[in-house]
Amino acid sequence: MANIGKITQVIGSTFDAEFNADSMPAIYNAVTADIDAGGQQRKLYGEISKHLGGGRVRCVALGSTEGLRRGADCVDTGAPVSVPVGEETLGRVFNMLGEPVDGGEALDKAEKRSIHRAAPAVSELSTNTELFETGIKVVDLLTPFVRGGKAGLFGGAGLGKTVILTELIARIASQHGGYSVFAGVGERTREGTDLWLEMQEAKIGDTGRSVIEQTAMVFGQMNEPPGARLRVALSALTMAEYFRDSTGADTLLFVDNIFRFSQAGSEVSALLGRMPSAVGYQPTLATEMGALQERIASTDKGAITSVQAVYVPADDPTDPAPATAFGQLDAFLYLERSISEKGIYPAVDPLASSSRILDPAYVGEHHYAVARKVQTTLQRYRELQDIIAILGVDELSEEDKTVVHRARRIERFLSQPFYVAEVFTGKSGEFTSLADTIRSFEELCDGKWDHLPEDAFMYVGAIEQAEEQAKKMAAKA
Amino acid sequence: MANARALDKRRKSIRNIKKITRTMELIATARFKKAMDRATAASDYTRRITGVVSDLARAGLEVSHPLLEAPDKTTEATLLVLTGNRGLCGGYNGNALRMGVKTRTALLADVENLQLEVSGKRGINGFKFRDIEANETFTQFDDQPQYAEVEKIANRYLAAYEAGKLHRLDVTYTKFHTVARQEIVTETLLPLGSIEGADTPVDPSAVAARESGESLYEFVPSAKSILEEVVPTSFRIKLFKCFLDAAVSEQVARMIAMKSATEAANDMIKDLSRTYNRARQSQITGEIMEVIGGVEALEG
Repeated sequence: MANIGKITQVIGSTFDAEFNADSMPAIYNAVTADIDAGGQQRKLYGEISKHLGGGRVRCVALGSTEGLRRGADCVDTGAPVSVPVGEETLGRVFNMLGEPVDGGEALDKAEKRSIHRAAPAVSELSTNTELFETGIKVVDLLTPFVRGGKAGLFGGAGLGKTVILTELIARIASQHGGYSVFAGVGERTREGTDLWLEMQEAKIGDTGRSVIEQTAMVFGQMNEPPGARLRVALSALTMAEYFRDSTGADTLLFVDNIFRFSQAGSEVSALLGRMPSAVGYQPTLATEMGALQERIASTDKGAITSVQAVYVPADDPTDPAPATAFGQLDAFLYLERSISEKGIYPAVDPLASSSRILDPAYVGEHHYAVARKVQTTLQRYRELQDIIAILGVDELSEEDKTVVHRARRIERFLSQPFYVAEVFTGKSGEFTSLADTIRSFEELCDGKWDHLPEDAFMYVGAIEQAEEQAKKMAAKA
Repeated sequence: MANARALDKRRKSIRNIKKITRTMELIATARFKKAMDRATAASDYTRRITGVVSDLARAGLEVSHPLLEAPDKTTEATLLVLTGNRGLCGGYNGNALRMGVKTRTALLADVENLQLEVSGKRGINGFKFRDIEANETFTQFDDQPQYAEVEKIANRYLAAYEAGKLHRLDVTYTKFHTVARQEIVTETLLPLGSIEGADTPVDPSAVAARESGESLYEFVPSAKSILEEVVPTSFRIKLFKCFLDAAVSEQVARMIAMKSATEAANDMIKDLSRTYNRARQSQITGEIMEVIGGVEALEG
């Protein structure tokens, strides 16, 4: 017999329900309530997040609470929210509850898994460390991604996080044999639709199959209530975990945007009666982030490589939400406004970004030495910038002038045309192999290309293209 | 928002820099006045003596002096580049150096042996950085070049020229026109004749005198002895004038560079102050919000 309680209180996107004190639903259990709002029938899901005592529970609503009434029936489903997993999910678009939203048929027969699961045990984790080539110069050189690792794209509003993420999908997923899962967390619905359509068009290698056939997408976008945004990442992750555990395939997990997950948590936190912590975030910020990030892991069964966009509020990386995400990642790209203002995209800050595997033991002595040289040059340039601003470039010593001269070229050479940004740059995307990247930057640091004008280095692939561009510019002038 | 304390620290260091640049601006202004007075005083004399020499040459007299005549061949040349001993004067040293390197390259194509002589630590280091070894260097010239020092150098050139070991002398320096205009030039000082021309002011009466076929000058005891005295002096004075001009230009350049540095520092301080105030305010707002939030949560 179903465990039925009554709604006793509705507070924004949370509600309280009273059950029989002997049969209270467990924490994380899903409950449902029927809503009759203006003749429209719908079912509201909620998730138990607090036991208030005396049979009363507090739930986070996973949908809109409009039309919910005190006294309405609230049914315990006896289990946490479960989403369909497996091959059936490929090519489909879901909401946080695992219901298809692409207009296709429901997945009734598919296996379902609870979205709350334990992270893999220490002994199961894979220790394999291998570089994951993206063909983007700044990424491969300075913040090499780890196969089976986590990479984060940090950046304030409008710096191109989503563009880089879609570019990575275009680059990686289209050459990737395994499965991909995309989680849209609290971002624009339009972007999700764009991505879905793009994935249908994009083909994997030359197999003739579209990328979407190997991809499952889960969206809980801006229009959704906080409960949905809080859990949608888990739904997507559960699907990815299934691919890892059951098929052993290399799985890609893209999340845009992990900050919205923290934000949603903060929205419901106060309503759940928790005392706000630093900058008004929930006191459980680190716990929530840790629980999510620890599950995105590669085990001895298979690997999940994940790329996550992280919004940085007010361009302040010390804000608790991005700061907690920082520590969880193997590689992070920090997008900097001052660089995007110079028109250099991707606006990756080469000094603030880093990677765990930028270490001679993993990438090799040569790669490491070149990367460090590039960073030292840029670092020196940055130190000199105040002096240049006050006294002018003429006051620098001859050595420093050379450093500035090269740093300005390196800075521009870190830009790169993107496949997904062809409409903006008017240039087709460039895949630069790691060997080319290292060679190009080494020659640049050694002063082999000092004679080319700065603009020649904008939006090119390998260094030879800069030379060509310089010739073209000279021909035009 | 950036760390308020870090911003404040940066602002303090820029304030210190500003103090230095402001002081240097004042010092440069004082030095510039002195140097300019000397240069103006010298320039009248130089103009006059150059005028005399060129008038003499134009007077159509049957006199000649080795310094006035171009040697048959030009294989031995010397390039003297005048820069400052100190930096913090904007593009002054850089420009002189660039011009010097350019002139040197051009001269190397023409002559077999080129001696490079550099005055000023900045220029010496600049050439060294470009792997160009100077044959002779001077560091004794600051904002008030002494005539005695310049004379020594001038006499050495004269001796070499008369002995046929030097056929041509070029000087790259910053010519001072007005406070607003200085110009990097390369002038050929030896043979002396080559500088006479349009830029040398000519005494109009001398031109008239030549046209009428009679000389304006009367030489006592002889034209030769006078020329022997006047021509080398004219050269020394010309060389001295180059040093003086370079010194004035350096002070002007420093004055202007320091003025704009002080202004740039002011702008930067203003920007930083704004950012700092905003950072401080948002920090306070954040803290108040937290306190209020905490109180409310405790009450509720």
